[in-house]
Amino acid sequence: MSTQSVATKKTKIVSDFPQSNEGKIWTKFKGVYLGPIIALITFLSLWQLIPALLGIKPFILPKPTDVLHAAITDWHLLWPAIQITVIESIIGFLLSATIGIFVSILLASSKVLEISIYPYAIILQTIPVVAVAPIIVIWFGAGFNAIVTISFLIGFFPVISNTLMGLNSVDKNMGELFTLYNASKWKKMWKLRIPSAMPYIMAGLKVSCTLSIVGAIVGEYVAGIGGGKGGLGYAITVAAIQLKTPYLFACGIAAALLGIGFYLLVSLVAHLMLRSWHESAMKVEK
Amino acid sequence: MSTNPNEVVSFQNVSKVYNTGTIALSQFDLTITEGEFISFLGPSGCGKSTALRMVAGLSEATSGHVQVFGKTPKEIIQKTNDIAFVFQDANLLPWRTVLDNVLLPLELRGSTKKSHKEYAIEVLEMVGLKDYLYAYPRELSGGMKMRVSIARALAAKPKMLLMDEPFAALDEITRQTLQVDLLNIWQKEKTTILFVTHNVYEAVFLSSRIAVMSSRPGKLSSIINVNLPFPRKLQVRTDKTFTDYVDIAAHSLENSSIRRELG
Repeated sequence: MSTQSVATKKTKIVSDFPQSNEGKIWTKFKGVYLGPIIALITFLSLWQLIPALLGIKPFILPKPTDVLHAAITDWHLLWPAIQITVIESIIGFLLSATIGIFVSILLASSKVLEISIYPYAIILQTIPVVAVAPIIVIWFGAGFNAIVTISFLIGFFPVISNTLMGLNSVDKNMGELFTLYNASKWKKMWKLRIPSAMPYIMAGLKVSCTLSIVGAIVGEYVAGIGGGKGGLGYAITVAAIQLKTPYLFACGIAAALLGIGFYLLVSLVAHLMLRSWHESAMKVEK
Repeated sequence: MSTNPNEVVSFQNVSKVYNTGTIALSQFDLTITEGEFISFLGPSGCGKSTALRMVAGLSEATSGHVQVFGKTPKEIIQKTNDIAFVFQDANLLPWRTVLDNVLLPLELRGSTKKSHKEYAIEVLEMVGLKDYLYAYPRELSGGMKMRVSIARALAAKPKMLLMDEPFAALDEITRQTLQVDLLNIWQKEKTTILFVTHNVYEAVFLSSRIAVMSSRPGKLSSIINVNLPFPRKLQVRTDKTFTDYVDIAAHSLENSSIRRELG
């Protein structure tokens, strides 16, 4: 029975072998990309056709072409809004990354600190930041500062919980090896615990970067613009009030693209940092 | 205390009881002299690893005394590079190259001189990995990883090498080459080696002395002096004397387990 299955495998390999390079590319295209592309085209066509067929008004459900048209005509509004949201969320993200990692290292370096503070970190994580956002506005004033703070708070906890988990998941034998060479606590931290935690930290940053955009937009809903120019969140609020639904869609899609772009960027950085050694960053060879 | 000036390790009436109540080691007495290659041979649960970990200060005796170079193991590992440990897994840092892994002990001791790097390269050459200095651990086979692990242990020029079933996870062919290479290194470096194994052939082939242990509770059941001349080649395995020693060791293991089962 088993010999037979080996034989069939062999013939399959042989039949795959003489395929040309061009054929391979087509096979890969067919297997990986073709399906999603067809699905997207179908989706867009249905979206375009259904409002037209049912006579749905553009302010209820705009067609893709309406959205595109709105984005182009209001580009002078949309583009600055995107820029502002990008800046807010990048600052928020960088704050949550640096402060998150720093606090985790501090907590992990002392068992007493970790035991007494970590439970609160978890409880704080469960508080919906949106609920405390108005307080932040009271403390930091309407506008930029409050928005960045909200973005930071939302992205902060995934970094902390992932980093702490990583710092505490060091292989036991490795730890003993460091003990044998009488490594100090900080040497152990720098040369063993932080590098071991890298894959976890990167996973935390990936979550945090998309959340920081959510934070920035929510922040803009709550904190307004405080005299300055508004970002995407503000543009969305205004568009909704004015019933500019196609522009509203354009803002939403822009926010989504922003999130995807930011995620891909952080993933790329993570890949570059881990590629020499960690399995998650390596291509699977069969 | 040390009556013999060449004595490097002494166990005096050492017992180890874990919190769970398991007796890992009971009334263990043994002295090891400088330059020996001594194997701890026994079934799993006989406390052979525990004994080794005590010498390294990774585990503490519940009662009795362990002395290493006339001091406590803790003092030795805090102040000197005299002890190196090789684990069953190669235990390499995956983000460091082979050379950087070997340099780790020196780095942790706070010395990063250029001469050390040269010595690390020399050691890697000795274990046959000269062409892999800048490779990452994931690019190496299991046997090669173990070679790096041994090189790392040797890099700090230890007086004593503790090895906890280092070859147990390797295939037979790789194991045999590594055994021969280890004996060469031992003769060249004149270190004392404490080697834990459950493989009778391995114990006889490598050791100048074998401490046979029995389990539950872990006890020393007999000591075998292996009077086969060094250097030993793989062909030694077919010699009559070699097979006689294997018989003796195997019997000794068997007797201790029979004794246990008879109560």
